[in-house]
Amino acid sequence: MKTPTRSRTPEGMTRSRTPEGMTRSRTLRRILLASTLATTVLAIGRPAPSSAAQTLGPVTDEIGVIRIPKNAPIQIGGMWVLSGPDTALGLDEKRGVELAFKTVGGKLLGHPLKLNAEDDQCNAEGGQTAATKLAANPQTVIVLGPACSSVATPAAPILWQAGIVDIGTACTAPALTAPNRGPQYAGFVRTVFSDSEQGKADATYAREGLKAATVVTVHDGSPYAQQLQQVMADNFTRLGGKVLSQEAVSPNDVDMHPLLTKIASEKPDLIYFPLFTAAAAQVLRQAKETPGLEKTVLLGGGSLASAAFIEAAGPSVVGFRIGYPDVSADAMGKDYPKFVAEYKKAYNEGPISGYHANAYDGAILAMKAIEKVAKTDSAGNLYVGRKALRDAVFEITFDGISGPIACDANGQCAQFKPSVLEFTSADPKTYDLGKNPKKIWPK
Amino acid sequence: MSGAQLARSRPRVTIGRVSPVEIVLWSLRILVLFVVFAGTIGAIVKDRYTAAQWFDFVMFGLTIGAIYAQIALGYTMVYGVLRLINFAHGDIVMCGAFAGYFVASPLDRSGFLTQHPVMGMTAILAVAIVTSTVIALLTERIAYRPFRRVSGSGPLIAAIGVSFFLEQTFRGMFGSSVKSYPEPSWQRSTFGVWGFNVPRIDVLVIGLAIIFMAGLYLIVQRTKMGTAMRAVAEDAEAAALMGIDVDKVVVFTFTLGGAMAGIAGVFYAFVYKQVYFFMGFTPGIKAFGAAVLGGIGSIPGAMVGGVFLGLVESVGPSLFLDGLGIPAPYQLRDLIAFTLLIMVLIFRPNGIFGERMAKQRA
Repeated sequence: MKTPTRSRTPEGMTRSRTPEGMTRSRTLRRILLASTLATTVLAIGRPAPSSAAQTLGPVTDEIGVIRIPKNAPIQIGGMWVLSGPDTALGLDEKRGVELAFKTVGGKLLGHPLKLNAEDDQCNAEGGQTAATKLAANPQTVIVLGPACSSVATPAAPILWQAGIVDIGTACTAPALTAPNRGPQYAGFVRTVFSDSEQGKADATYAREGLKAATVVTVHDGSPYAQQLQQVMADNFTRLGGKVLSQEAVSPNDVDMHPLLTKIASEKPDLIYFPLFTAAAAQVLRQAKETPGLEKTVLLGGGSLASAAFIEAAGPSVVGFRIGYPDVSADAMGKDYPKFVAEYKKAYNEGPISGYHANAYDGAILAMKAIEKVAKTDSAGNLYVGRKALRDAVFEITFDGISGPIACDANGQCAQFKPSVLEFTSADPKTYDLGKNPKKIWPK
Repeated sequence: MSGAQLARSRPRVTIGRVSPVEIVLWSLRILVLFVVFAGTIGAIVKDRYTAAQWFDFVMFGLTIGAIYAQIALGYTMVYGVLRLINFAHGDIVMCGAFAGYFVASPLDRSGFLTQHPVMGMTAILAVAIVTSTVIALLTERIAYRPFRRVSGSGPLIAAIGVSFFLEQTFRGMFGSSVKSYPEPSWQRSTFGVWGFNVPRIDVLVIGLAIIFMAGLYLIVQRTKMGTAMRAVAEDAEAAALMGIDVDKVVVFTFTLGGAMAGIAGVFYAFVYKQVYFFMGFTPGIKAFGAAVLGGIGSIPGAMVGGVFLGLVESVGPSLFLDGLGIPAPYQLRDLIAFTLLIMVLIFRPNGIFGERMAKQRA
């Protein structure tokens, strides 16, 4: 008697719908599988552009030629984090590029410069989307950015697959320009230092500046944080210190109390956490409330040099230190103060993060390379060979506003000068690289 | 013994009849139980943490658990009444947190929040509750009601759409930066109980959560409207035939859920000190997990599920993984929480409190 009654209840109705649902989920799974496979093949299958030599107008090139009709713009791709908690990081670099274009009046070889900036959201999925979109545009001459290594890792191979050179402007993960980086990264260079330098400098500061004997590192699984803390930990051990543990969180974790309690049980002299804005602010705020960490020094990374971080961290930011390249006027190129004045004039505020100079130099490098290889025909059309452009980027050297720019064979174009900065005020409006946070090391 | 009975009892001993899926499920169960037991023993043997630190782990777990529980109530009540998974619920929590922030921030700057903590908190909570409730009711009226008679996944997709709409609206209005919640000095203070340091804010959050949840339970169990709500959850058509105004009940349900979301938003922001437009997503997903764990549709289930999930997240990595010597255990805390969730669902497919309801209905 019971069975027929039951089949009329809501559960019974749901059950009768299951087969359809199952088919749908199976189709979905198949689509997912197919797209994953496709992505994998795209990402690692072919290491370098495979198209045959092409001749267009006066230019012959191994991997392809871009033809820019008379008066049409030279399209330069950009990808930075332009939304979310790390917006300042990316926007600052976009502004650096815009100011670089301004120095030539927005025109190169008689063609207007057009920046197609994509938001990569500082994660791998966003990077894949942004790079695919830029690569799909046959007029993309070169790409500037990204800010985040988690973006560059998938994006650079996608771009180089399409024969497009990518100039990283703040992505500092060591693997991107390591000697074993693989042919799919052959089109990637960066006008920013490598974290193998940053990590070494941070370890040196911890041992010599802070006299720390023990350290716990925390990363968030991103290539940037993970590789940086590893380099730091290795160098710290080499300098005679002891690494108690290497912890990890996920980037959108909010409850750091349990992790910090665990760290407190190890009693480290220093916690080193080169995380991004949201997670780092949580660690910083909650560390001050954790019993046992009262005397522990906290040291963060370069992604935190922004007004947005001060806003997120609140009062606990005062006294907090970050390892950072030395950007004080005497360490930067001689034209840097002039650039800052221009920046303030254009955007009614001082630089909002730390990598505008690297982005500016990246844009200058791109323009110099285009000028070097581009040829104009009698009708006024412009031709750029892709392989020639890549080689030019690797050959050009100049004195940038962030320091001398000269790429080595692995695409590392900038040198590194270390420093440690300390925040002096919790008011986001007082953010001014050099004053808040101010340089405290080397003295 | 009849032949049919024999046939039924035979597969139990024949290995050949056991499907590969069952073997995988059983090995999963054994593996998880092994990790739990071996890890616990390992952690006890290692004796790495003091009693005070274990106490802290439990307090952190109870605090986040109480917040999950309050959010989970919103999921479970709406599911009970409408059979709709309201994916925008996490974002309604975010709305409450934002509303609270815009009250808390000026109050803190003027020093009012430090001098009059009770009045300050009441004002913050009141504004957050009103905002969340209004937004919850608007989403119901505008986005869900037109779908009421539609079968299929339309309503679910509408809910996902509402979620995106709320996130992007808040991002458009207030920017995408992370805003820091104020931190009045009384919030940081602790008091000692049996030698343990107890942070005041944790006690406040847990205590108020228990009071609010008890109140909600009484409303649902004892009032006329609550009875009507349970009737609609049981069988909407029959309830309508008995003269219950289903629309009114749905509005009532969203009011309760919205109010709880507002409270949870303020607590969440007060404990974790940050608000931004995407903040509702993660606690929303976790609380949904908690609601399923407790048995979706069951109110006590949502409460127990939330606290259970919070505790496992906080204590689990130190207790299970640290004991086994796994490095960086806190990276895996979501894995632990959701593995245990799956385990509970393997053993009890209807969730912890799910069965009682099904029995009542049959």
